[in-house]
Formats: sequence, C-alpha cells, structure tokens
Amino acid sequence: MIRQTSLFLGYELRFLLRNPVWPLFGIMQPVLYLLFFAPLLGKTTASGSMPEVLAMFTPGSMMMIALFGSLFAGFGMINETRNGVLERLAVSPAWPPAIILGRVAKDMLVLVIQAILVMGVAILMGLRIGLPEFLIMLLLMAVTGLFAASLSYGLALAIKDENGVSQLVQFFAMPLTLIAGLFLPVSLGPDWLQTLARFNPLYYGVEAGRSLFRGDLGDSTIPIAFALLIGLALITLVWSMRSLRRLAA
Amino acid sequence: MIIEAHGLRKTFHAKRGRGKTEEVEAVRGIDLEVQKGEIFAALGPNGAGKTTTVRMLATFIAPTAGTARVAGFDVVKEAAKVRENIGYVSQAGGVDENNPGIEQLLLAGRIAGLSKKQAQARADELLAAFSLTEIARRPARTLSGGQKRRFSIALGLVTAPPLVFLDEPTTGLDPQNRANLWDEVRALRDRGTSVLLTTHYLDEADALCDRLVIIDHGTVVAEGTPSSLKKEVAGDVVTLRLKGVDDAAEVLRAQSYVKEVRTEEGLLRAYLDDGEHGLPHLLRVLEERDLTLESISLDRATLDDVFLRHTGRSLRDAA
Ligand SMILES: Nc1ncnc2c1ncn2[C@@H]1O[C@H](COP(=O)(O)OP(=O)(O)O)[C@@H](O)[C@H]1O
Ligand SMILES: [Mg+2]
Repeated sequence: MIRQTSLFLGYELRFLLRNPVWPLFGIMQPVLYLLFFAPLLGKTTASGSMPEVLAMFTPGSMMMIALFGSLFAGFGMINETRNGVLERLAVSPAWPPAIILGRVAKDMLVLVIQAILVMGVAILMGLRIGLPEFLIMLLLMAVTGLFAASLSYGLALAIKDENGVSQLVQFFAMPLTLIAGLFLPVSLGPDWLQTLARFNPLYYGVEAGRSLFRGDLGDSTIPIAFALLIGLALITLVWSMRSLRRLAA
Repeated sequence: MIIEAHGLRKTFHAKRGRGKTEEVEAVRGIDLEVQKGEIFAALGPNGAGKTTTVRMLATFIAPTAGTARVAGFDVVKEAAKVRENIGYVSQAGGVDENNPGIEQLLLAGRIAGLSKKQAQARADELLAAFSLTEIARRPARTLSGGQKRRFSIALGLVTAPPLVFLDEPTTGLDPQNRANLWDEVRALRDRGTSVLLTTHYLDEADALCDRLVIIDHGTVVAEGTPSSLKKEVAGDVVTLRLKGVDDAAEVLRAQSYVKEVRTEEGLLRAYLDDGEHGLPHLLRVLEERDLTLESISLDRATLDDVFLRHTGRSLRDAA
C-alpha cells in the first residue's frame, strides 16, 4: 500500500521536476502580500514592530497558498475522468486509494516546500522563529494541504466539471478567507464575527500558526487545529475514494 | 472459455436536471462466450451498449443484473483477480496527455507488481513492438492520433494479460493506421492473447474477428463467425433501383432462387445464394413484367445485410 502510494507520488513528482515553474507561481501571491501588505499593518499590533507584524501576518499568507493552491489541485483530475486515465487505473491492479493518496502526498509536499520559501522570505524581512515552531508550522501546513487537496479531489470526482468546481471553490474560498482572519486577526472584530469564525476550520489553522509564530507552543488552538484538519481530511479522503469507485455510475 | 456472461444488464439513472432522473437501459440481458485465443468482436451502432458491456466485463462498473466470469473469475466477487488477468483499453484511450508515454508504461508495470528492472524491460519491449521508442519521452499531447492510440494499447498490454479489451480501437484513425492496428491485433492473437474488441465498422468486424456478436439496443441480435452470419442471409445481394418497387418485390418473392426480398424507397434488395447464375433469370422476369431498371449491382452479402435482416435498419443509417 505504501509502495503503491509512493509509486503514484513518484510519477507526480517526476512531472513536477520536468515542469518546476508552476508551483513557484503559487508563492508569488503570499510573497507579494508579505512585501507590500504587511508594512501597512504596523498599527494593528501592540508594538508595531516589523517582527511582530510578520508573526501575525505570515501564518495567514501561508494559509492563502493552501486555499488558492491546494484547493485547485483536483482540477487536473477532472479531465482524467473523461480521457480514460482514471478508468484505466480503476481496472488496473493498483490499490485504488493510492491513486488519490499519491496525488495528495504530492500536493502536501509542494505546499510544505512553498511554505518553507514563504517563511524564508518572512525571515529575511525580520521574522524570528525557533526551530521547533518552524517544524511544527510545516507539519500544520502539511495537514492543511492534506485537507485542502482531498477536498479538491473529492469535488473534482463528484462534480466532474471544470466550471462547476471552479465556481464552487471561488464561492467558498472568499468567505473562508475573510472569516478566518487571514489578513487580520478576528479578535480585532466584533463578537459575532468571532463566533462565526469558530465554525471555520481555517480559522484554527491561522490562529495555531500565529501561536506558533509567537512561540506560544502551549496554546490550545494548536492541538485543535491539528485534530480538526486531520479529521476533516480523513472524511474528504474517504469521500473522494468513494467517488472514484462510482466514476461511471 | 475466457469470458462467459449470462443475462448481463445495466440500467443507469441519468440526471436530467432539476433533480429528475431518467432510467437508461444501456444493456438489457447480454449472453457472451469468448474462447481462449480468439479475436471476438462486438459490432453495433453508437449507443448500442458496447462500451457499457465491456466496462462490466472489465470490472469498471457493476452489472445491474446477470453474472460474468472473466479469465475464470467472477467480475463482481473476484474483481481484483479479474484485474490481474486483463488489459483494458477504453474508448477514450486513457493516455495522460501531460506525461511522456514511457513514464506511463513504467508506472503501469510497477503498480502491477513488476520490479523497476522488469518494468523497464517490459516497457522497452512494448515500445519496440509498437514503434514508439523514438517518441517515448515526449509529452503525450504532442503525439499524433495514431501514436497516442498505439500508446494506449501498449499500456493495456504491460502485464502481458491473457485477455485484452479494446473498445473501438480504430475509431478516428486514418486507413493506414487502421490497417497497421489490425495487424497488431492479429499479432496479439498469434501470441495466444484473447481479444474482445468493439467496433461500429462492418469491414473491421468482417476482416479482423474470428467470431462476433451484433449488438443493438442493448441486446445481442446475432452471433457467429462472419461467414456463417453472412451465409444465413445469402451469398449475394442484388440491389435494384427502379420504379414500381412493390410490383417487382412481389414477382421476385415468387422466384425459387430468391431467398429474401427487402424494399426501401425506390430500392430493392434481393438475396440470392448464387448471384452469378440467378441474375439472368431475375432480369428476365422483371423484363416480362415491363419493369424498367434505373440501376443494378451485384455484391457479396456483408455484415450490414446481416444487421439489416435482424434489425430492419442498415448499420450505416442506425444512430
Ligand atoms: N454513465 C452513463 N449514464 C447514463 N447513461 C449512460 C451512461 N453510459 C452510457 N449510457 C447510455 O447507455 C447507452 C449505451 O451506451 P454505450 O454503452 O456507451 O454504447 P456504445 O458503446 O455501443 O456506443 C447509451 O444510450 C448511452 O447514452
Ligand atoms: Mg462505445
């Protein structure tokens, strides 16, 4: 099973190595936000210093790659529901979950590498972060990618229509971004917004990231974020595997 | 027997929008028996249920009713065993446009359990057999239709399966590529591989297969070897274009050497076992009745005449 998953992962990674440019575009957006938007946020933190602003803002900009990158991961699979690739794999001796798991593993890896690059830029701009926090943050990005990519493959296999999936993802991405406090903490907002945010898994991801960047390893948002994202990822994975089995029904 | 199917049925519940669904009886009770080592064809018009039938046999979709054993295993209860013993080349091809063919061949070999070395050796073998070695490293989207089709077939053969399914393998190919592909399918049989292919081309079924079924509206309407099926209809067919088709039909039906007469608008087909000898008689009786011909032709009976006899339509006209 691990062998099968790693075979599919290897296939996807070799594709990336032949076309390494695209994932780099994915980090342009958060890097631009770091460069041009973070400096505007001086007044929103206690001291207004750049390291503090970056500790607040960087986690949100990282979640942004997950939302606008990994959530679109399933796009390529929509075509594969029509061109016979999935049909061929479905009746091959492959272990069926590996078909999706291999791709999800690739998306997680891509997201982690993008996260390293974005954090690298933030560190160059003055962010200070300890090694344990840095590593846990990468782990948090990995589970975020696991969830976002599985959701994306699930949508792709269930809807099988480029237009439908892109509309749906856009429709959800914007409110999720705003209600998660991606750019500014929701704690700055009114109570109703804070209550609403508690129903958004992304909120916990961003808050957990901010706790990590503050060096507050004991904060409760960290375990909550991990549990929530892993739980949701498992549900969406099972869902997408079921859709794969019912491809032609 | 490499395939044995009894009473296969598939009913789809297709969405029609606004939450309504529509029942589509794609396959309505098909029996099939394919012998080891033969090329077996399912011939039928678009929408006849060929793809659906093959998909059930290849374990891609589960039958609504009926049973099938493929390579000795039940397609529902032992799907994993069936998958180890088949190659499946879908109508869509199943070639990943973004990746080179060699990568896809290697992956297919590895997921079937081959070692890295074995997968490489098998891929090289197939690339050579299908003259694909030169273009193995190009992204598949840069290949021509014929090259892509050869890759899709090579992909189905990676595990050297005893049985391959080829769903409309030559649709969209030019005559040259089509003839080459026929040769490749025959070469498969020569190496002992059983082949089930579907087609809507009469000449393809006629030239390529050992036995066939004709499928229409989800059922088998005829089964046999191409020559036995044609013999059932007649050896030859005389096609006449004339005014007074109905009178002519009446006269010809009374002739002992005429096996069957079919008419269409301004057109009459008379089936004769021995056209060369029957034709002069036929012309004489028509002349005696003062029926003037506009045109006449004498041809060997084809599978289209078989199709016409069993469905009342010509396969060329069937939607
Ligand atoms: N997944 C599906 N959902 C609904 N209807 C389908 C589906 N697949 C095939 N059909 C219908 O079943 C019939 C048979 O289709 P198919 O097996 O593809 O025919 P063929 O391969 O002989 O052209 C057609 O009427 C087609 O529209
Ligand atoms: Mg078809």
